[in-house]
Amino acid sequence: MKNALSIYWKYCFLLISVLISAEAVSQNKPSEKKPEIKELNEVLVNGNSTEKRKKEESVNVETVNNSFIQRNLGGSLMQSLQKLPGVKTISIGSGGSKPLIRGLSFNQVIVVENGLKHEGQQWGADHGLEIDQYAVNRVEIIKGPSSFIYGSDAVGGAVNIKPLPLPSQNTFGGSVDLTGKSNNAQFGSSFNLFGRNENWFFDSRVTRMDYGDYRVPTDVVHVYSYAVPLYKNHLRNTAGRELDFHLSTGYSQEHFKSVFYFSNVHTKSGFFANAHGLEPRNVDLELHDKSSRDILMPYQQVNHLKVSNTTSFQFGNHAFETQIGFQNNFRREYSHYVNHGYMPPIYPEEMYAPQDLERQYDKDVWSFSAKDEFRIQNHQITVGSNVVFQQNEIGGWSFLIPAFSQFNAGLFAYDKIELNEKWFLNGAIRYDYGKIKMKSYYDWFQSPVSENNQTELEYLQRSQDLTKTFDSFTWSIGANYNPGKLSLKANLGSSFRMPIAKELASNGVNYHYFRFEKGNPNLNAERSYQLDLGMEWKTQNWTFQFTPFANYFPNFIYLNPTSAHDIYYGAGNQVFEYEQSKVFRYGAELQTRYYFLKSLSAEIGAEYLYSEQKSGSKKGYTLPFSPPPSVLFGLNYEPQISFLKEPYFSVDYRFTAQQNNIVPPEKKTAESHVFNLAFGSKVKTGKQDISINIQIQNLFNTKYLNHTSFYRLIELPEAGRNIIVSMKIPFSFSR
Amino acid sequence: MKNLKFLLGIFTIAFITSCSSDNAEIDTEYPVIDITQNAFPIQCSTIERGQTITFKAIFNDNVALGSYSLDIHHNFDHHTHSTEVASCEMEAVKKPVKPMLFINNYTIPNGVKSYEATAQISIPADVDPGDYHFMIRLTDKEGWQTLKGLSIKIL
Repeated sequence: MKNALSIYWKYCFLLISVLISAEAVSQNKPSEKKPEIKELNEVLVNGNSTEKRKKEESVNVETVNNSFIQRNLGGSLMQSLQKLPGVKTISIGSGGSKPLIRGLSFNQVIVVENGLKHEGQQWGADHGLEIDQYAVNRVEIIKGPSSFIYGSDAVGGAVNIKPLPLPSQNTFGGSVDLTGKSNNAQFGSSFNLFGRNENWFFDSRVTRMDYGDYRVPTDVVHVYSYAVPLYKNHLRNTAGRELDFHLSTGYSQEHFKSVFYFSNVHTKSGFFANAHGLEPRNVDLELHDKSSRDILMPYQQVNHLKVSNTTSFQFGNHAFETQIGFQNNFRREYSHYVNHGYMPPIYPEEMYAPQDLERQYDKDVWSFSAKDEFRIQNHQITVGSNVVFQQNEIGGWSFLIPAFSQFNAGLFAYDKIELNEKWFLNGAIRYDYGKIKMKSYYDWFQSPVSENNQTELEYLQRSQDLTKTFDSFTWSIGANYNPGKLSLKANLGSSFRMPIAKELASNGVNYHYFRFEKGNPNLNAERSYQLDLGMEWKTQNWTFQFTPFANYFPNFIYLNPTSAHDIYYGAGNQVFEYEQSKVFRYGAELQTRYYFLKSLSAEIGAEYLYSEQKSGSKKGYTLPFSPPPSVLFGLNYEPQISFLKEPYFSVDYRFTAQQNNIVPPEKKTAESHVFNLAFGSKVKTGKQDISINIQIQNLFNTKYLNHTSFYRLIELPEAGRNIIVSMKIPFSFSR
Repeated sequence: MKNLKFLLGIFTIAFITSCSSDNAEIDTEYPVIDITQNAFPIQCSTIERGQTITFKAIFNDNVALGSYSLDIHHNFDHHTHSTEVASCEMEAVKKPVKPMLFINNYTIPNGVKSYEATAQISIPADVDPGDYHFMIRLTDKEGWQTLKGLSIKIL
């Protein structure tokens, strides 16, 4: 029965892939319509190189620029990118989110900013990505394994935030961004100033955001079985603030470029007050509901600092690039002290940590990388190496993961062969070595231990000194064929991920989900094998893209809910333990756009994903956070209006199917229908164009659940109607 | 062109509907805590210090039960409320001196679908009287968990 079912699935999937491909290939009529090319010069250059990259790379790459982000502006970067099929988010309230690419997230997806791998506390579900979306110019999303480029962790994909383009020579200018959102009464502003003489340049930015509790279309939330009334639909204590600084500066000439990047992202945001701790809690309603803008306990405060230098130079046939970087991620979680296990009921006065500091993580990361790109006949070869060292300290009165240090090094070679104008071959190999060293930790309080009928008080050991090493050899091969309007690609690759400290050694309560999480020191490095196909059809009035994939993990690391409870530190909560299982996944994304008229186009974006655990205690179940199938229908109208530049008007309807494939402790999620409206334009004012973008998200204030939201488990509906107005006012000084 | 679009639509729909059928073999049901008949404690029950009480409830699951844990902790700060609709009369907020804390887990025989749980809990004579919270956490074999939080009073 089991086998029959999976064979049925496979055939079903295969058949449809073939049918859709065949159909698109058979379509071969010349087209009549020309979509207007309306982009600015600088974006156009990017557009072409993106196109070129897509045709030459065998992995699936999607690229978006800042005008896409502006038109689809969400509360955080990943929320703004959700329109792309295959890209979803795990959202934490209205101001934070983490990427979910084809159902994988956490440490299985990496984020790269200005060439530096972003290292935060991405293992935590409550961790949002510390990226300022105003500072993002171009994002490249690799849907699929990219370990051969980035090393460990990139098993599920990569979000690569490209460096800002350098200012043109002899310019001095900037811009002001203003954003307002109705749902959480958010005000955001970002101020940018850049300048360059012939060779020296700088580009700086300050971003400030301030938002209140967000509103949901319900007045009662059921946190597990506990009913929690909401005051005026406000999700209690989800307000937040953000303050970011950026500076890039350096020197550029024809064969030499050196850029320093500096950024500091600081956020403070509250957690939904009733769903944090050892059990769902009552809170002081009078205190909490007095203001929708204050941030009370529980809340988190995160600071992410990045400093790096990228230097590139040409030497004969060779293009060298070196990068040195430092990052510090400092995250603190504040909550009222609640004793559990044998913790004293009253917080001791002489403790090492303040009473409200529940957890603290302090991560320092030093990284160095170098690569050389050169050509030998029709081979374009890149060889390189990178070395990363990180040091993690912990603090606060509660324990979840131990302090640890980690070392990773990798060596790679990548070859792109241009056989002729139509055929490209890609091949890559990479070797990685990693070492993780976890520190021992003892409870700060004593627990009674019974031995030979004698009970003694002891400081229990929660984690032990443990050193693990991993090494891995990964590879990738692929081909591209571009006969005119059609382009086809195929890629087969392996990827790997080193287990992280949380998976190896956690031993504490997850206060967001009321569960006791236990690491497993015997985990192996996770491996993944993936076959990716891509098909793109492009005529002047019709584009079509279909990207199926199949993926196999012989040892996926999975947090398994057991039937046991922990009665000591876990305060009677359910025990979740890390295990490894075989996992098979497949899915596809489809994107198509058709121009009825020069100014009127329709688009469809659909995605489907199936995952199944093929062994282990949850054999037959899916993986957590599996996005249900969804289809987005969009209509886009871009008329010519004399005094406006590039006006647009678009309506989106997203149908998300129900998700019945669940795994404990998830709940089945019903289907949803959500409408979004967006319009905007640029207004000509002298040399610069002011752009105005308006969006109405969740137009009908629909109450629906998002299966992949951080708050889904507590039955929290998604944000209600949200009107977003954003404006960009560029300015320049002539010199 | 029209035909193509139409076909495409049909296939897309066929694809989504045919491939999203349920996987019938896995258990996706939560276990059930039944405290409607002959159960103790129930919402607003009172317990006397120095006595031994007998916890009673009926547990059900569609496949096999896992285990359960019981937890009694003070609610002097009114931090917890209950999963029940009826609310109980509460004493004023107060500071704990020697609150009772009881946490224990219990096994359920393997492969049982329905189980009448009983457990003896002795209430020490010297603990603080007042409002307490009685929590039942029940899992099934697959790891689905159901919670029940009851407000009780220790006299």
